[in-house]
Amino acid sequence: MSMTIATPVAAAEKPRRRARKNRQLQGLLYIAPAVILVTIFFVIPVLFTVWMSFHNWPLLGQPSWIGLGNYTRMFSDTRFAAALSFTAYYTVIATIAIFALAFPLALFVQNERRGVSAYRTIFFMPVVVGLATASLLWVWLANVDSGLFSPILRMFGVTGRSANLLATFNNAFPTIIVMVVWKIVGFTMIILLTGLQSIPSDLIEAARIDGAGRWQRFRFLTLPLMRRTLALALILSVTGSVLAFDQFYIMTSGGPQNRMISVVYYIFNQSFVSFQLGYGSALSIVLLGILVALSVVQLWLLRVGDDK
Amino acid sequence: MTNATGMALRQVRKSYGATNVVHGIDLDVAAGEFVVFVGPSGCGKSTLLRMIAGLEEVTDGEISIGGRDVTDLDPSQRGIAMVFQSYALYPHMSVRDNLGFGLKMANTPKAEIETRVTAAAKILKIEPLLERRPGQLSGGQRQRVAIGRAIVRKPDVFLFDEPLSNLDAELRVSMRIEIARLHKELGNTMIYVTHDQTEAMTLADKIVVLRDGRIEQVGTPREVYEHPDNIFVAGFIGSPKMNFLAGVAANDGFDLAGKTFPLGYSLAEPGTPVTVGIRPEHIEVGPSGAATFSVEVDFSEYLGGTQYLYATLADGQSLVIEHRENTEILGDGSITVSCDPGRIEVFSATGRRMRR
Repeated sequence: MSMTIATPVAAAEKPRRRARKNRQLQGLLYIAPAVILVTIFFVIPVLFTVWMSFHNWPLLGQPSWIGLGNYTRMFSDTRFAAALSFTAYYTVIATIAIFALAFPLALFVQNERRGVSAYRTIFFMPVVVGLATASLLWVWLANVDSGLFSPILRMFGVTGRSANLLATFNNAFPTIIVMVVWKIVGFTMIILLTGLQSIPSDLIEAARIDGAGRWQRFRFLTLPLMRRTLALALILSVTGSVLAFDQFYIMTSGGPQNRMISVVYYIFNQSFVSFQLGYGSALSIVLLGILVALSVVQLWLLRVGDDK
Repeated sequence: MTNATGMALRQVRKSYGATNVVHGIDLDVAAGEFVVFVGPSGCGKSTLLRMIAGLEEVTDGEISIGGRDVTDLDPSQRGIAMVFQSYALYPHMSVRDNLGFGLKMANTPKAEIETRVTAAAKILKIEPLLERRPGQLSGGQRQRVAIGRAIVRKPDVFLFDEPLSNLDAELRVSMRIEIARLHKELGNTMIYVTHDQTEAMTLADKIVVLRDGRIEQVGTPREVYEHPDNIFVAGFIGSPKMNFLAGVAANDGFDLAGKTFPLGYSLAEPGTPVTVGIRPEHIEVGPSGAATFSVEVDFSEYLGGTQYLYATLADGQSLVIEHRENTEILGDGSITVSCDPGRIEVFSATGRRMRR
């Protein structure tokens, strides 16, 4: 029996090209919803913000083109500089605090021990509370008379009379840091946990046979093998901290002596309190640039990408 | 209590909660011996190896290496090195750093690490790969690096946990030969876990057949093959599998398929049911041997050098015959086959081998 392949080459070419075109159209169709959403809710607003940032743009009335005026104004804006430096300070402290707690927690809930899923749930629980809700809750907890912390501190004789935790910068800042750590640490813990669990157990065993102690295994195996996870957790944490707003707005309204005005809070003030929408837009674009730069630096520092 | 550089297990047990997985293993391993733990999956062979390595806690009993009780020592202090099935190479380090990691952990001087790594790389012919990462190596090369990492540690005992299972068939054969060569060259004690009986037979000085956490038999490959202690070992070692036929003890032999086969000695009270074990390769086509019987060939497989005949006895029991002669046996026919009574094993109802 013989088999013949009868389709001439030329005739086969056309349908194939059409099929490829079809497949490409299909692909476009699949990503279209995402493209539309990103365009409407990200690309267009960003472009519009850029456009606004070149204007003196009041809430009512006619915007007027001032070119780079809003951008040059920033350099002499001492309040913006203060907001930047406070945000940087907050980001460093919050990130260190979150990681300092999230890593031990991740290591703790990684091992299969009795009740481990209960621990994971408990540590993760605050994450599902909204940041604004959590801030309100902590405003109450930190209340001088009807709260939780002040009466406890007084009961144990730490403070003579009820202390107002949110009254001075030196008390309010740690309180907010503790609140943020309580709120965020479970999330960072889960991310780190996925990284820890992706390390094959026989690698750890090989290192044990090679004589690496607990700390050396962490230093030479766990940390390098978790680079991608660390990068993700770090970028999420830093981005979140740089964009901090709710807690300062709700808990201290910008803090004692306006010392807790973060960048986003300052942008909010400029745009929706002073109604300088053009200047607010320019500040937003600069903040976006800062975040992109920070993320690029972090990715580069953790060498994500050249994993071979 | 123990020999100088060998190893000994005394009543070693392992249980997870109420589940016992290793039941009191006693085993002596002489210095320089190549011991293979073989058994079906779940027999406890890997657990036993991991207990020797110190990766798994010993529930009860004692493990000693070179006369030193290591039962509760850290893996790194036992004088062992292990090669894992998955290779377990550190993916973010170069081959050189992988090989030297253990020495670095032991604070060995840089120059000595360098010489020992180079020496190990030379033995395994992986010198050109030293600067590469494990991800850039083929399976066989990774296996060499894993073995190299073990060599560099200069251990008293090498432990291999199914090291060839992840390799393709061709590579498996060449790495098997490589490991045998390595054993000859280094002369270390080696413990090797596998479920592959070919690896067990070819590599071992001593085979330990395990089942359900117990040792079924310990012996040289020849002993285990030619004189299996019980029906499990007889069935596990040898390919194709030994034929097991239901028979009955008779005076000076046994009855099988309506015929009496003389063995020259009495197995048991005549009439006692026995299992007769005959290896396919010990059955010859033609009436030359002492014990002859006729079988019906159902179908056959031609494998080049040999031909497997799937046949049935007069009473319907099936039988595999390995036919090595160059004359083709066509299916669908009755033939006479024979076998040397000395190669027939007879097992009691409990599975123990019966001998005079």
